[in-house]
Amino acid sequence: MNSQTRYGEQGDLVIEITGLTKNYQNGEETIRVLKDVNLHVRRGEMVAVMGPSGSGKSTFLFVLGLFLPPTSGTYLVSGRDVLSLNRTEQAIFRREMMGFVFQSCDLLENSTVYENLELPLVYAGVKRRERPDRIREALARVNLEHRVYQPSNRLSGGERQRVAIARALVNQPEFILADEPTGQLDRENSLRVLEYFNKITQGSNMAMVVVTHDAMTAEHCQRTCVLSDGVLNG
Amino acid sequence: MANDKNRLANYLAHRSKRGTALLRMRDVMRVSIREVLRKRRRYLGVIAAIALGTAGFITIVTMGRDLKANFNNDLDMLGGATIINPYFEQEGMERLEWFRDRTLISLARIPGVVDVTGAVLKPRAITTFQDRIYGFNLVGVDNAYWRVFSFSAAEGRLFDDRDVAEGARVCVLGTDLARTIFGGHKQAIGQILSIDDNLYQVVGVLGGVRAGDRGQFLFLPITTAKARVVDISQPYSAYVRCATWDDVAPVAAAVPSVVAANQIAKGLRVNVAWEPLKQVQRIFWWVSLFIYSSIAATLVLGGLGIWNIMMAAVVSRTREIGLKKAMGALDNDIFFQFLFESLCVTVSASILGIILGRAGVEYMSHMLGARPPEGLFLFCLAAGLIFAVVIGVGAGLYPSIRASRMEVVEAMRYE
Repeated sequence: MNSQTRYGEQGDLVIEITGLTKNYQNGEETIRVLKDVNLHVRRGEMVAVMGPSGSGKSTFLFVLGLFLPPTSGTYLVSGRDVLSLNRTEQAIFRREMMGFVFQSCDLLENSTVYENLELPLVYAGVKRRERPDRIREALARVNLEHRVYQPSNRLSGGERQRVAIARALVNQPEFILADEPTGQLDRENSLRVLEYFNKITQGSNMAMVVVTHDAMTAEHCQRTCVLSDGVLNG
Repeated sequence: MANDKNRLANYLAHRSKRGTALLRMRDVMRVSIREVLRKRRRYLGVIAAIALGTAGFITIVTMGRDLKANFNNDLDMLGGATIINPYFEQEGMERLEWFRDRTLISLARIPGVVDVTGAVLKPRAITTFQDRIYGFNLVGVDNAYWRVFSFSAAEGRLFDDRDVAEGARVCVLGTDLARTIFGGHKQAIGQILSIDDNLYQVVGVLGGVRAGDRGQFLFLPITTAKARVVDISQPYSAYVRCATWDDVAPVAAAVPSVVAANQIAKGLRVNVAWEPLKQVQRIFWWVSLFIYSSIAATLVLGGLGIWNIMMAAVVSRTREIGLKKAMGALDNDIFFQFLFESLCVTVSASILGIILGRAGVEYMSHMLGARPPEGLFLFCLAAGLIFAVVIGVGAGLYPSIRASRMEVVEAMRYE
């Protein structure tokens, strides 16, 4: 498949995954979790990866986040082969190029919203005087500017997930990986979060890959791929 | 491929342009301090242990010599372990030598010597009171004699430097003698005794732990005794009081050469109570061992406590570590965060210990009436801080390495 013809210009592509496989060794047995997976995501696009439990969704997400090395295949981000990066470069890549949103929100406990958003900036070496503006800007995108100094444990579930989204945005990444972002939210909050996702991807050059088993979440994405028994379709 | 390399170079350049490692370290340190402050209750126990250990170390080391001297003084009353007794003994038909004033002055200058005194003696002296005759040992001493033997007045006063300088006709009685002649201590004060046709006013009765040995003694100022008492001896015997028992051996070794440098030293003997000295040293060694072992145990337990807490923190914060790595934290960022947390605990405990130690030094200085050298306290302060850093790094190193090497996948899957 030619990515240039199907997904537009090469320059628009943020994620290019071709022939990706991931095997685990269990004694003599080889477990093939991902089988020849291909995925192309361009700027401004929000792609859902759906699949039942045990289909390899989480493994796929960990490979995308460079937390797990694939067994074979290529993985380019904005045209750069990221599988060749060493451990330190991978960490730099993660903080510069990608943002993560987890199912369980995973905010730092006993910390304020500001401190949660400040941490990626700390690791990125952003100067202290630049941080407040960046943090307010990220919070504004999820309508939470007024909660900037609120302790994270006093936020509602929906607010916590919006803070997690803002934290993923604060370093202005190229793409966001979201793992069941609405998994712990009620319908109303889920819809609100998905609207923010849409707004963020459409209003910027950011790409987003959402791993979910929730049909409503998938409906809000421009494209849905189904991962079944290690094979990605769609 | 070249394009790929440029992009990677851009990432790395981007990083260095945004902030140096130093800036990031400062922020990581700030995050660590914040973490410790927020979870301070968890650290209270180890902070208290290290603070008390440091305070004990500072107080004991800074006040050590004064404490030893004081302890020495108390123990010495029982056995006179730090009193050296040089004396002259007649050899053949040679003239019996005695201690000259210049010799006593030189002996007092030996390092480790606190006081030196000589004594003149007239055994079997007599006095009459209300037509009754009483026999006693008459001793002429100076004011240093009281200090050397830690004597005090059981009643009245002991004669002082002025009495000695003026050759005052005053006397101090041993307890038994006061009781025998006057029927009691209080009754003796102010009475007049006649010795060799000279009248002396009783100004005090001898007291102190070792006063019982001199119950039948009568003390005159040495100047008075030399001037007025018939057949009084020369000071054949001297008493040298050392500051601590550690000074006894070197002082005893130095005495013969010091005496020889000032006068004829023929027949000189140096009597040291070696056995009581060894007993005192043995007691203090055990006490010291106990004290220092307690301090060391406290500090080691503090260190182990931090190690334990940091290990528990690494486990309980596994997801946090994974989250931070997912946000782009380098292994070093995680490593230094945990190490700074450990250091933050030990250094703050050490600072608290230094404050407590200073208070302890001030209190003991007040109690002992001594002022230790400030340099010694500063040395202990520096040693306490260095020890805090060592224990902080030592206890925090392994947990920090474990945290930094944690794989994101395992960390994020940790429940």
